[in-house]
Amino acid sequence: MPRPEVRIVTFSIDGREVQAPEGVMLVDGAKHGDVEIPVFCYEPKLGQPVGACRMCLVEIEGIPKLQTACSTPVKDGMVVHTQTTRVREAQNSVVEFLLVNHPLDCPVCDKGGECPLQDITFGWGRGISRMVEPKRHFKKPLELSPLIAIDRERCILCYRCVRFSQEVSEDYQLILHERGAQSYVGTFDSHPYVAPFSGNIIELCPVGALTSRPYRFRARPWDIEGAGTVCTLCPSQCNVELTVRDERVLRVLGRDHADVDDGWLCDKGRFAYQAIHSEERIVEPLVRDGDQLRPASWERALSAAASALGKARGSVGALAGGTTTNEEAFLLQRLVREGLGSADVDSRIDGSPMPLELQRALAAPALGATVPDIEFAHTVLVLGTEPVDDAPILDLRIRKGVRRRGVQLAVATPRPSSLDRNAKLWLRYAPGAEHAFLAALEAALGASGDVDRLCAVADADPKAVRALADLLGEDGRGDVVILWGERVGAAALPALLNVAGRLGLAEREGAGLLEVPASANGRGLREAGMQPNAGPGLSEVAAAGRSAQQIAAAAADGELAALYLLHTDPIRDGADAPLWRRALARASTVIAHSAFLTDELREHATVVFPAESYAEKEGTVTHPDGRLQRLRPGIGHPGSVRAEWSVLAELERAVSVRVPQGDTNGHSSPLTGPMATRQLVEAVPFYAGLTLEEIGGRGVRWQERAAAEAFPAGPAGPFDVGEPTPVASPHGALRLGTFRSIWAAPEVEHAPALKFLARSATLEVSPADAERLGIENGDRVRVGNDDRSVEARAAIRGNAPAGTVFLDAGLPAGGASELVDGTPVSVDRAGVEVTA
Amino acid sequence: MSELLLFKDIDEPGLASREVYERRGGYESLKRALRMPREEVLQNLLDSGLRGRGGAGFAMGKKASFLPKGTMDKYLVCNADESEPGTFKDRELMQKSPHMLVEGMIIAAYAADANRSFIYIRGEYQQQAEILERAIEEARSAGYLGERILGSDHSLSLVLHRGAGAYICGEETGLLDSLEGKRGNPRLKPPFPANQGLYQGPTLINNVETLATVPHIIRLGGQEYAKLGTETSTGTKLVSVSGNVQRPGNYEIELGIPAREIIFGLAGGPERGRDVKFWFPGGSSSPVLTPAELDLPYDFDSMAKAGSMLGSGAIIVVDDSQSVVDVALTLAKFYRHESCGKCTPCREGTNWTVKMLQRVESGEATPMDLDIIASVQEQIMGNCLCVLGDAMAMPVASMVSKFRDEFEAHIETRRAQLGLGEPTEPTPLEAVGVGS
Amino acid sequence: MSVARYDHGSRIPGWDDAVDLSKDPASIPDPALTPVPAELRQQIEAAMARYPDFRSAAIPALHAAQELHGWCSPEAIEQVACVMRLTPAYLTAVVGFYDMFESKPVGRNTVYVCTNISCSLRGARELHAAVQQAAGDDPDFNVRAFECLGACDIAPMASVNGAYVGPLELSDAERIVEQLRAGEDVLPEKQLLRRKVADPRASTDAPALFDDEDRA
Repeated sequence: MPRPEVRIVTFSIDGREVQAPEGVMLVDGAKHGDVEIPVFCYEPKLGQPVGACRMCLVEIEGIPKLQTACSTPVKDGMVVHTQTTRVREAQNSVVEFLLVNHPLDCPVCDKGGECPLQDITFGWGRGISRMVEPKRHFKKPLELSPLIAIDRERCILCYRCVRFSQEVSEDYQLILHERGAQSYVGTFDSHPYVAPFSGNIIELCPVGALTSRPYRFRARPWDIEGAGTVCTLCPSQCNVELTVRDERVLRVLGRDHADVDDGWLCDKGRFAYQAIHSEERIVEPLVRDGDQLRPASWERALSAAASALGKARGSVGALAGGTTTNEEAFLLQRLVREGLGSADVDSRIDGSPMPLELQRALAAPALGATVPDIEFAHTVLVLGTEPVDDAPILDLRIRKGVRRRGVQLAVATPRPSSLDRNAKLWLRYAPGAEHAFLAALEAALGASGDVDRLCAVADADPKAVRALADLLGEDGRGDVVILWGERVGAAALPALLNVAGRLGLAEREGAGLLEVPASANGRGLREAGMQPNAGPGLSEVAAAGRSAQQIAAAAADGELAALYLLHTDPIRDGADAPLWRRALARASTVIAHSAFLTDELREHATVVFPAESYAEKEGTVTHPDGRLQRLRPGIGHPGSVRAEWSVLAELERAVSVRVPQGDTNGHSSPLTGPMATRQLVEAVPFYAGLTLEEIGGRGVRWQERAAAEAFPAGPAGPFDVGEPTPVASPHGALRLGTFRSIWAAPEVEHAPALKFLARSATLEVSPADAERLGIENGDRVRVGNDDRSVEARAAIRGNAPAGTVFLDAGLPAGGASELVDGTPVSVDRAGVEVTA
Repeated sequence: MSELLLFKDIDEPGLASREVYERRGGYESLKRALRMPREEVLQNLLDSGLRGRGGAGFAMGKKASFLPKGTMDKYLVCNADESEPGTFKDRELMQKSPHMLVEGMIIAAYAADANRSFIYIRGEYQQQAEILERAIEEARSAGYLGERILGSDHSLSLVLHRGAGAYICGEETGLLDSLEGKRGNPRLKPPFPANQGLYQGPTLINNVETLATVPHIIRLGGQEYAKLGTETSTGTKLVSVSGNVQRPGNYEIELGIPAREIIFGLAGGPERGRDVKFWFPGGSSSPVLTPAELDLPYDFDSMAKAGSMLGSGAIIVVDDSQSVVDVALTLAKFYRHESCGKCTPCREGTNWTVKMLQRVESGEATPMDLDIIASVQEQIMGNCLCVLGDAMAMPVASMVSKFRDEFEAHIETRRAQLGLGEPTEPTPLEAVGVGS
Repeated sequence: MSVARYDHGSRIPGWDDAVDLSKDPASIPDPALTPVPAELRQQIEAAMARYPDFRSAAIPALHAAQELHGWCSPEAIEQVACVMRLTPAYLTAVVGFYDMFESKPVGRNTVYVCTNISCSLRGARELHAAVQQAAGDDPDFNVRAFECLGACDIAPMASVNGAYVGPLELSDAERIVEQLRAGEDVLPEKQLLRRKVADPRASTDAPALFDDEDRA
C-alpha cells in the first residue's frame, strides 16, 4: 500500500518543544503542543490549503514575512511564535477585516454559541471595531435549496462551501459570483443547490451564513445534547452525532471516521431524521380486527403473533432488511429455524441465493478491501453498482482517491454512472449481463474463453473489455480494489472470484473486493445467519431453505402460511411486486415490524409491531468491509415502541425455543441488549470474544482480530464459471435496466424536508430511442412487458445506451419491480395505445 | 544616452511582418542561440543581469535556471496582461514588433528547456492579439515554432491566450489559474511556478519586455549587455510616462539616468505654469515620490532606497492642479475593483479604505479617520496572499503620510462647503462592540 | 424590476438572488437536450484542442459565446457548458470574475472609457459622462467606465469595439456615437494603431504625429 511512512519531527512553538508527524501543517502540528492557531478557511478534508483567510499567520524564525500556519508543514528545528506582538496585530487585523461586513447579529443567529467566528473574535480580536461605514447588505435569509438557507451578510467568504462543491462532491454547482468585496456565494441562474451531499456545507460553514432550514431556530447549543451512533439508512453506515433536544432528534451531524465516512454525510443521512418524528409513524402495536388493523396492547399483539406463528409452525418465511441489527437478525433466524421449524429465512430481498462456498470465498479476510483501500489503491473498478445511490459516501471516497491520490478508476455498469467522468475507462454491458461480462473479463485476463463471443453475449465492447483487462492487470503496478454491487447476481460470482484470483487480490495488502450490499446491514444480516443456505457465521445448515424469491412464490401458491417481515417492504425492496402482492394476500399470517403502514400491510398484516428508528436502537451492525459498529440509543422510544430485539426474544419465549447450546447464563432468550449481542458473538465464530466495549465508538473490523482465524475458509479457485445465459434480445423492443435512487426510501418520503426529492417512476431513454418512439423529454410514457406496465416520466439522456431503458426501482409502488425482470419492454406515450 | 535596442526600427513600416523583421536582422539571434548548447544560452541570460520588466525585478536568468531538469512538459508563459495603471510599453512592443517577442520566447524556452509556451494577453488588447496571432502563424510556417525548430532538438508550441479583463491576472499565479480556465485567483506560494506552475508542471513566467530583450542579449552577448545601465540594473528599459506631462508615451532609456531627465527631458514635464506635485516611479502600485526626489537615478535600487520601486517602469506624473485626495480615492477604487477577493486583508481592506476615503472626499471624515486609514494600510501590508493588497496600501499610505496637510485641508474645505462646521472628534471607543 | 443599490449608487450584486425552487439543479447540460449552434460548437471545440487541459478554453469559449449571443446569457453559458462538459456554474463563476464578460444584456456597440488614474488626470471622467450622454438610452450602446486599458499615452482614451482611440476631446463623444451609428470607422485620425512611438530617437517625426500608412 503506498501510504506514506510517518516520521516524527521536533520543532519549537512559543518556547515549547513539540513533536509532531513530519509534513503536517503547522496548524495541526501546534495542537501537539496544545497551542491553538485560529483558522477559518483551513479544512484538510477539502484538499490543499488555500491560505485565503489569513487568520493563521504566525512568525517563523528565519522567514521575514508572517506565514500562514495552515500551509506551512512542520520541519525539524523550526522555531515558531504565535504570541508575539506582530502576530497578535496580524490576528487582530484579520478579525477586524472579517467583521467589516459581518452583521454581528449573533443574538438571532442559529450559529450563535457554536460559531468559530464568535470564538475567534473573542479569543483573537481586539474587542472593538473602528469601522463606522455601512456594511454590505443582502436580503436574508434566502433559500439556497429547500434544505439550506443562505445569509450572505454573515458570509466571511472563506470558500469552504464552494470548495466542497467543487473539490469534494464535485457537483460544481456552488460558486462565487463577482469578484473581490462584491463576491457572494450562489448558483447558476438561480438554480437551487440540490446535490446528494449538499448538506455538508452547513457543517463546514464557520459562521451562520449557511444554515439548515429544518434546524433553523429549533434549538440553541445549550438546549441540546449530542448522541453518537451510526446511520443505518444505507450500507455506508456513516458515523453520526444526533443533536437531541427533549427526546427529539433535531439534527444529524457527521462524526468523522476516516475508515468509514471521512467526516461527510449524504443528505439522506443528514435530513431523514425527520421521519423519526413523523406523525404517520407507527408507535404502538397493531393487530388485525376483521378488515382493520387496530392498536393493541403489547400483550395482545405478542400473543396474537405468537399464536399465529405457532399455528404456522414449519411453514414460516422470514425476511429482514433495512435497519435490522445483527442481533435482531440472529434472533429472528433462531426464532424461525429453532422455534418455528422453518428454514425459510433470507435477507437478500431482491437477490438470488449465493452458494455458501462462494460466500465464504468472497468474504475471506485476505480478499476483503477496506474503505480507505479505495483511496490508496492503484486502480479501482466499480462494477455493477452506482455508489452515489447504493452507498453514497463511497462515491466521495472514490472521487477523493482519483483527485488527490491519482487512483485510476474504471467503471463497468449497465447504466451510465456519475463516476464515468472521473474514470480512466468506462464501459457498458447489458442489464443483467454481469455473468457474461465478468467471464469475458476473465478471458481477457488470460483465462480460456472467447472474449469476443462472451462480449457479444454481454453486449459489451470487446475492445473496452480488453482495455479494462490491461488496466487491471498492469503487472506489478499495484493494488486493485473491485467495488461490486450485490445486484450483480449470484451467477456472476464465480467469474468475479476468478478475476480476483488472476489479479492476485488476496495476496496484496491494499487490494481486494468490497461488496456494496443491497441493504444497509446486508453483510451483518448474512453473517448473523439470515439466509436460507447458511446459519450464523456462514455455517452449514442441514437443509437449505427458500430464498426470498422462492418464499414469495411459495406463499403466493399457498405453500407458506406465515410471512415475517423485519424492516422490509418486499413490494418496494423485492424484485417482483405483483408476486409479493399475491404472496401477502395469500399468506394467512403476516407479521411485520414497520415504521409506516403500506397499503399491503394495511390490508394483509396480522400484527404490525412498531419498528424502531436507528436513533432508538441498541445493537451492532456490520459494515460492508467487516467493521462491526455499535448503535447506541440517542433518544427514548416514542409511544409504546419497544426494542425489537426484545420483541423477538418475547416471541421466542412464547413459542418455547430450546436453550441454545453454550449459553452460559442459561437464558433461552436475551433479557438485555448486551445479552443479545453476547449470544450473537457466541454464535459467530469469527466474532468470538467481541464486546460492546471493544467495538466502542469507532467500531472494529473482525478481520483484524485474532478470531478471524475461525473464519470458515471457502474453496480455492478457480471456480467453474459456467455458460452465461444470454440476455434477452429485444427484437425491436427495449431492454429494461433498473436503478435504485438514493432517494427511493421510505425515510425520504416521510421526512418533510426531503419529500421534494422523493422519486416517482422515471424512464431514462437514449436520444435515438426517444426519436424512434416519438418521445419528448418529460413525456408521460407507459412501459410494459408481459401484460404488465407502469407509467413513468421520460427523461432523455444523451449518454444512455441505445436499445436499453432504465426505470426506477425501490418505489413504494409503480416502479421497476412491477415488471418482469429481464424481459424486454415496449414504451409508448401514455394515452396512446399500450402494447406489450 | 545609449543606442536603442527594443525601439530600434520600431516604427519601421511593416515591422510586424516576418519579412521586414527578418530584413532588420530578426531571428538571427534565434539561429545563433540554437547553435549554442542550452547551458550557454542560459549563461548569457545570467550574465546579462536582466531583471524582470514586469514589476518585481527578479533576475530573469536565475528564474529560468530554477526549472527542474527532466523530460516532463515544461512551460514558458509570457505575461502580456499589462494592466498596471500607467503601463503601456508591452502593448507598443507587441503591436509593432511582435516577432521580437516570439523570437525571445523561443530562445528563452530553449534556455529553460520548455516545450510548450503561451502568451497570456489581456483581453482588452484585441488589436494587439490579432497582430500577434498573425506573427505566430508566420513564425510557425517559417519553422521557428513546432517540432525540431530549424533542425535543432528544440521543439516548442506557442498558443496565444486572450484574457477577459482582470488586473489580478497580471499576478503570475493568478495568470496561471486564469490560463487554466478558472477565476484568476492567485495561488498560495510555495509551491512556486518553477516547480508547480501551469497544469502543475514546471513553469517559467516572464513579462513581454523581458522576453523581447532576450534576442538582444544573444546578439550582444550577456556580458556586453550587462555593460548597459548600472551594475545592479543592467540594460535598457522601456519607460511609460503618463499623466500631467506634455509628451506622454514610451521611451527607451538606459537604467540609471536621472528621473528628471525622463520626465522633463523626454516627456516634456507638466504643462507650462504647472509643477510636479508628486510622481509614481513604477506604476500606480508604487509609493509616490516628491519633486525633491526627481534627481535620483532611475534604477531598481535607487527607487527602492527612496522607499518606492521601479516596478513596471511606468512613471505617472501628477501636477499641482490635482487633488491628492482624488488621486488616492481613484487609486483605492481601482484596487477594490480588482481585488480578487480570495484573501481577507485585501478584499476587506481595499473595500474599507475606499469607504473611508469617500468620507474624506465628501468632508464627512475627521482627521482621526486619516489615522485609521494609515493604520488599515499597515494592517494590509505584508498580510495578504499576493501583492495586490500591498499595491494599494503602499501608495495610499505614502500619499496620506506625505500630504497629510492637504488631506486635512480638504476635509476642512468640504465641511465648510457643506456647512458642517468644525469637525467634532467622536469618542473613539464608542465604536461598535463585538460579540453577541 | 428594481435593483437594490448602495447609498452611493452602486448596484448590490446578489442582493436578492434567492434560488428558484421550482428549477432543477444545474448539472452539466445533457447534449441530447441542449442545442448548440454548429459554428459556436466548432469554435469551442477548436479552442479546447489548443490546450493540454480542455478547461483552459473556458475564456475563449465564453468570448465566442458572448460574441454570438451579445452577452453571457444563461442560454449562452449552457451551450458552452454542454460542449465543454462543465457545469454552467463553473462558467458563471468565470464570467463573474472578468470585466469583459457581460452578465446582463447590453448594447452591441461597446465603448470602454478608461477612467483610471492617468486618464482621469486628463479629464477622463468628464469624457465618460459625455459619451454616456451622447449615447443616451440607445439600447445599441454599452458605455462603460473601465479600468486602465494600457494606453495612457493617448489619455484620455476609449476602446471602441476593441479599437483604441485617443487622446479624446469632450467633443469627440458625439462623433464616436454618430460614427458608430453610421457604421463608420471611428475617429480614424485618433486610432492608436496609427500612432508612432513617443521616443524621439525611435521615430523620425515624433512626438505624436501620424503615419499615413495603416500598418495594422
